[in-house]
Amino acid sequence: MHPFSLFRLWLVQIRYALTRELAFRANFFAWVIVELSWFVLQLAFVGVVYHHVDRIAGWSRNEMIVLVSTNQLIQQIFTAFLMPGLTKLPELVRTGKLDFVLLKPVPPQFLVSTAQLEIGPLANAGIAAWVTGMGLHALGIVPTVASLVAYLLLLMTGLLVHYALLLFLVSLTFWIVQAESVLLGYYSIFQVARLPREAALGWFRVLFTFALPLLLVANIPAATLLRGMEPGPMALFLLTSLSATLFASLFFHQGLRRYQSASS
Amino acid sequence: MISTLRALPTVFSIGLQRQLAYRWNYLLRALFSAMPLLVSWVFWQAVFQTKETVGAYTLPGLLTYYAVLLIVEAVSSPADDDFQISREIREGMLNPILLRPLPYGLYRFFLFLAGRCAYFTAALLPVVICFYLLSRAIPLELGNLDLLRGLPALLGSALLQFSLTLCLSLTSFWFLDISALIFLVYSLEFLAGGHVFPLDLLPAPIFAVARLLPFAYEYWFPTASLCGTLSQEAWQAGLCLQFGWALAFLVLAHFIWQAGLRKYTAAGG
Repeated sequence: MHPFSLFRLWLVQIRYALTRELAFRANFFAWVIVELSWFVLQLAFVGVVYHHVDRIAGWSRNEMIVLVSTNQLIQQIFTAFLMPGLTKLPELVRTGKLDFVLLKPVPPQFLVSTAQLEIGPLANAGIAAWVTGMGLHALGIVPTVASLVAYLLLLMTGLLVHYALLLFLVSLTFWIVQAESVLLGYYSIFQVARLPREAALGWFRVLFTFALPLLLVANIPAATLLRGMEPGPMALFLLTSLSATLFASLFFHQGLRRYQSASS
Repeated sequence: MISTLRALPTVFSIGLQRQLAYRWNYLLRALFSAMPLLVSWVFWQAVFQTKETVGAYTLPGLLTYYAVLLIVEAVSSPADDDFQISREIREGMLNPILLRPLPYGLYRFFLFLAGRCAYFTAALLPVVICFYLLSRAIPLELGNLDLLRGLPALLGSALLQFSLTLCLSLTSFWFLDISALIFLVYSLEFLAGGHVFPLDLLPAPIFAVARLLPFAYEYWFPTASLCGTLSQEAWQAGLCLQFGWALAFLVLAHFIWQAGLRKYTAAGG
């Protein structure tokens, strides 16, 4: 299918999902508050730790706030556009409703990934962007246009890592009947992304830099704002993110072969 | 009364069978639950690079806290009991349960117990492996474990978490979807419960307030009791508050249930 057609289909799906979301406005505000409370929790943790120390792995308090809020920004964009669809996959497989996806003349991975939308997280992404700005302001840093553009591109690259991990985890549902725990797994594993890269050593650093680049997801964009562009780490980030996405996509298609439709 | 008591082992058995029907899901959950410990290890190692102690904690002491927290969580945290109760109310599945001579709270408590037993069994191996690997890198202070004080606090934590879950879930009589409420309380439990960091790392005035709230007795108090870091007076006062909160939530759940039943409409079987 032509990429432009897929883009148009995605816009139609967004419009449909938006209409559905706006039918439950109270739910929208409730979820904004819930997601915000989890962000406050992360900032409170930073506050408590820096109550006892001045720097962690070379990162000051305000630099850490930029790191944590950048991570939140990526996660909220992911939660808005891609996560809701992916988390529905275990249910689609268990109930056999994946049949309806497979019958459509569109790549199933695309349909599964983009079928749902949540607008609440976008409000929280705005708050995270504001906190990032506040952190930079406190540090007296005014980013250049080039570093801002690079930051935005790196955010997109970070989305790929989120996507790869969750696509891999939800694809386990083709082997495991009830795989609701994968969401817990996603949130547990992604705690790594909030760590300063310099804090990780040994096998942990190698694993989460080269195999699953979680240590790069928020670190590279945040470091670009704080310390300027570093072509080497940026290229590594792009390469590992694309590899992880490709691997997850292959795993999804491998799982799809095992799927037995409800009617067969 | 006798028939109610005789039914309880059957409820427990049904609960176990329900949980074990999805063993892989359970095993995955247990495996993932060890991830925060690994992240804590990496993070706190970096924090302790420039300091010997943070608050009253050394690095081994702090990691022992996080390791013991894994056990507390496995034993006392409800899994998806809140969503199950909410679904039973919303989808009218209460009807057959209401016809039985068995109080609903007791019925749910035995399902909760079965869930905890199954999960603890599944989590045992990953937790032991975690303890082993971590103790090879850091000398965990497991010799200081105080089971005499820790076990009652662990029991109180399970009772408190169950009663709070029951109160929250029973609001489904009035609300169509309570998942936002549940996740909001989760975040409070994580922050004010000592799940993200030990509460005694908080500045003293905030810690004093946190100790009055029920959340502190869900994770921090049982973990600190097991680690043996509480004085006798602090433990006794904490235990009284813990069971006091649990009792208060059980009474509240009773009133919510009574009010909810007046609103509940049973249709069909």
